[in-house]
Amino acid sequence: MEPATKVQGFDEEALSALSSSTLFVEALRKQALEEFLALPIPSQETEEWRYTDLSDLDLSFAPFAPGGDAESLNRGKILQAAGVVGERAGLQIQRNSEVVSTQLTEGLGAKGVIFGDLDRAAEEHPELVEPHLHALVPTSRTKFTALHGAFRTGGTFLYVPPAVTVELPLQTLTYLDADGAAVFPHTLIVVGQDAEVTFIDRYVSPALSRALSVGITEIHAGAASRVRYVSIQEWGDGVTHLGVQRARTGRDTELRTVAIGFGASLARAEAETELAEPGGFSEMLGVFFADGTQHFDHRSLQDHVAPNCKSDLLYKGALKGESRAVYSGWVHVRPDAQKTDAMQTSRNIVLSDRAKADAIPNLEIEANDVRCGHAASVGPVEEEQVFYLQSRGIRRDEAERLIVFGFFQEVLDRITLEEVRDSVSHAIEQELAGEG
Amino acid sequence: MAVFGGTLRVSGNGPPRETNVAVSQEEHLKELSKGYRFDWKDADHSVFTPKRGLSAAVVEEISSLKGEPDWMRKFRLKALKHFEARPMPWWGADLSDIDFENIYYFIRSTEKQAKNWEDLPEDIRGTWDKLGIPEAEKKYLGGVSAQYESEVVYHKIKDELDQMGVLFTDMDSALRDHPDIVKEYFGTIIPPNDNKFASLNSAVWSGGSFIYVPPGVHVDIPLQAYFRINAENMGQFERTLIIADEGSYVHYVEGCSAPIYTSDSLHSAVVEIIVKKGARVRYTTIQNWSTNVYNLVTKRAAAYEDAVMEWIDGNIGSKVTMKYPSIYLLGKGARGEVLSVAYAGKGMHTDAGGKAVHVAPYTTSIITSKSVSKDGGRTGYRGLIRVEPGAHHAKSNVRCDALILDEDSRSDTYPYIEVEEETAALGHEATVSKVGDDQLFYLMSRGLSEPAATAMIVNGFIEPITRELPMEYAVELNRLIELQMEGSVG
Repeated sequence: MEPATKVQGFDEEALSALSSSTLFVEALRKQALEEFLALPIPSQETEEWRYTDLSDLDLSFAPFAPGGDAESLNRGKILQAAGVVGERAGLQIQRNSEVVSTQLTEGLGAKGVIFGDLDRAAEEHPELVEPHLHALVPTSRTKFTALHGAFRTGGTFLYVPPAVTVELPLQTLTYLDADGAAVFPHTLIVVGQDAEVTFIDRYVSPALSRALSVGITEIHAGAASRVRYVSIQEWGDGVTHLGVQRARTGRDTELRTVAIGFGASLARAEAETELAEPGGFSEMLGVFFADGTQHFDHRSLQDHVAPNCKSDLLYKGALKGESRAVYSGWVHVRPDAQKTDAMQTSRNIVLSDRAKADAIPNLEIEANDVRCGHAASVGPVEEEQVFYLQSRGIRRDEAERLIVFGFFQEVLDRITLEEVRDSVSHAIEQELAGEG
Repeated sequence: MAVFGGTLRVSGNGPPRETNVAVSQEEHLKELSKGYRFDWKDADHSVFTPKRGLSAAVVEEISSLKGEPDWMRKFRLKALKHFEARPMPWWGADLSDIDFENIYYFIRSTEKQAKNWEDLPEDIRGTWDKLGIPEAEKKYLGGVSAQYESEVVYHKIKDELDQMGVLFTDMDSALRDHPDIVKEYFGTIIPPNDNKFASLNSAVWSGGSFIYVPPGVHVDIPLQAYFRINAENMGQFERTLIIADEGSYVHYVEGCSAPIYTSDSLHSAVVEIIVKKGARVRYTTIQNWSTNVYNLVTKRAAAYEDAVMEWIDGNIGSKVTMKYPSIYLLGKGARGEVLSVAYAGKGMHTDAGGKAVHVAPYTTSIITSKSVSKDGGRTGYRGLIRVEPGAHHAKSNVRCDALILDEDSRSDTYPYIEVEEETAALGHEATVSKVGDDQLFYLMSRGLSEPAATAMIVNGFIEPITRELPMEYAVELNRLIELQMEGSVG
């Protein structure tokens, strides 16, 4: 394991130790640091943070951890950690605070697709990066997004020009193995009108004694574009993960996102879609499995601003051991968003008598010609189902395993990427086999 | 003693005499068509000059006027401290316009509680006549309590219930006549520092009902209380305590109304219910305050082994309502049900809902909520289902449906589900929609006008609630809905 650098904590000195960037980024960092110093750690007194207590979070992390050279990829078994990687149109690897490798299929660059290190993109394509970076997730949102704005290095920028279809998925693997470090993965996706792309973010680490990841994903999906975004969070024990993902759709955009969470000691993942123009569609799927003493806090927002949009959310999660999972979601239909069709479903299966699940699916409807619904449930494996399977000669543990798989099947069936589906199935299998 | 304006005729405790039913059917219908039909104002009847504002001195004065025991005086003063210390709730409806200094905390309207309608001052009696209470009492009620401003001015219970040992009095009398039982239960379900408005009620409470049903006694006709605010800027703080002893049953019905004024009144009640082993309590509210009343009420029941608690909560009026009837399921096998119907029209925000807290195993709860918003009104469902560790095999289901009748109106749903038991099974479902165009078209093609068709659809929508009401109230609720739908464009 790489030792982290000696600098601890987040102040002006730490900021000046980072390598310099463009004027725009430098100004953003400076402002974000001020916000970070001014903002309090979110309190459980607020509705947003009611179920996650970070008041004791010790922020003495190393603000920067080097990624090493490309050679170290093999030594660090990083590629192995990336798991099953199917055919890709592009793959970027960030290790700790630095992007160490970027590949893009030949030909895509010629079509105008830009894929690579966000810091480099800020230098080379300021006209694309500057109007979009932190436009959807402002640094001032919380103390943590401010911290991200100040100390982010690396990150991914993806631009797909109008009318370009990228057939194969692009992926970024963020690999963390610097104990005691803080990393700030940032994915900025800008998709032109009528373009199509699939992007996968994967976060992996071994078990660490402690580390912090504050990630931000911003997706600007142009009119009539088709965008699929998958995030797979597989941080090891010891990592605190605070992620915010926000997308804005254009006219007739089709956006499909999948959030998969298995890792980290504490993971808070916020996923938001703003349906800003008429005719947009947003599908938000979520799959999680908590065990041990993991704490998951999943939040979602389907923000219907424009009329004639549709959104559909389905989150499914299982809990084992002494884990705790909270799902709180909001459907907000603004006064102009007539003809909205919005659905929100959260299902939780509790496999241990020491686990705890909460679900708060909220609706705020300010338009009248709408169809909105939500459903939430928390429950155990149903005894009738176990009994039925046992009566067919299946052992109890096997019966339970089958029922949990059946529970997840509804959401797995809707994940169109086969390799993602397979790797999630595999992860569920491992969770079920594991202790606690 | 101050002198008041009306004529007070003190008579014996004879049976209620025939009273004038002042409102003919025709006049009744005429009033209906005018919209809110409870908008009449009686002359000021206060028996001493009421003072605005709240202080320890006001609390002391209320306690001393009532000649209360020392423990209650101390309880009130302690609650006042909690009220002063607590911030206003940051969630829910906008309460920033409430001016606590402009409110009358206590108005005494008659010197003596009547047991006979005729003993009341004429226009106060007229108010009850117009509300149809004396008539309802004769027809189908086991007992009636009528509160006017701060105190119960009329109270009566049927002799046979009296003989069975059923206690049904106003809360002030109960504190005087049954001090031990009141002291044992008062403030145990909703402690004085439970929330800011429960603290306020605990400090200045006056009136409300006290009911005790002995073991095994079934009160098979409903007991009713009616709450009337007459004065402008009135604060009504009734306090109700119901104890259903083992295996007993009681159905309590409350209604409320007030005249329309340009400035606001405050109604902040506390209702505590104890449902002992195997007992069942049904509590029905038809709230129809005028649209200048803040209705901020804390209602909570404790249900023990195999007990059943049912809240049927109809919220049709008020400017702002924040009310979430709760059930703590404390004994194995206890059951709880909340049926909530909320309406919000112009300038109204009805934030209603229900809570069920499962503490014991094999407990079940069902919450059904139906809300209708119109003319810029805002309805909300706010609920909590909580399963504590140890409440294994708890089951709960929540169903909320909202109808939004025009584009200026709004509906919100804030359900909280918190589960700490593996074997608990909980579900929540909600829908929000408008009145279906095809349903409207069908009814109109059969010759119904659009308002009539809309009213029929809305009445069908809230039918799961109305079918649980006593018939007279179901009819009243349907009539209110029809009235609200008049002139509506679906």
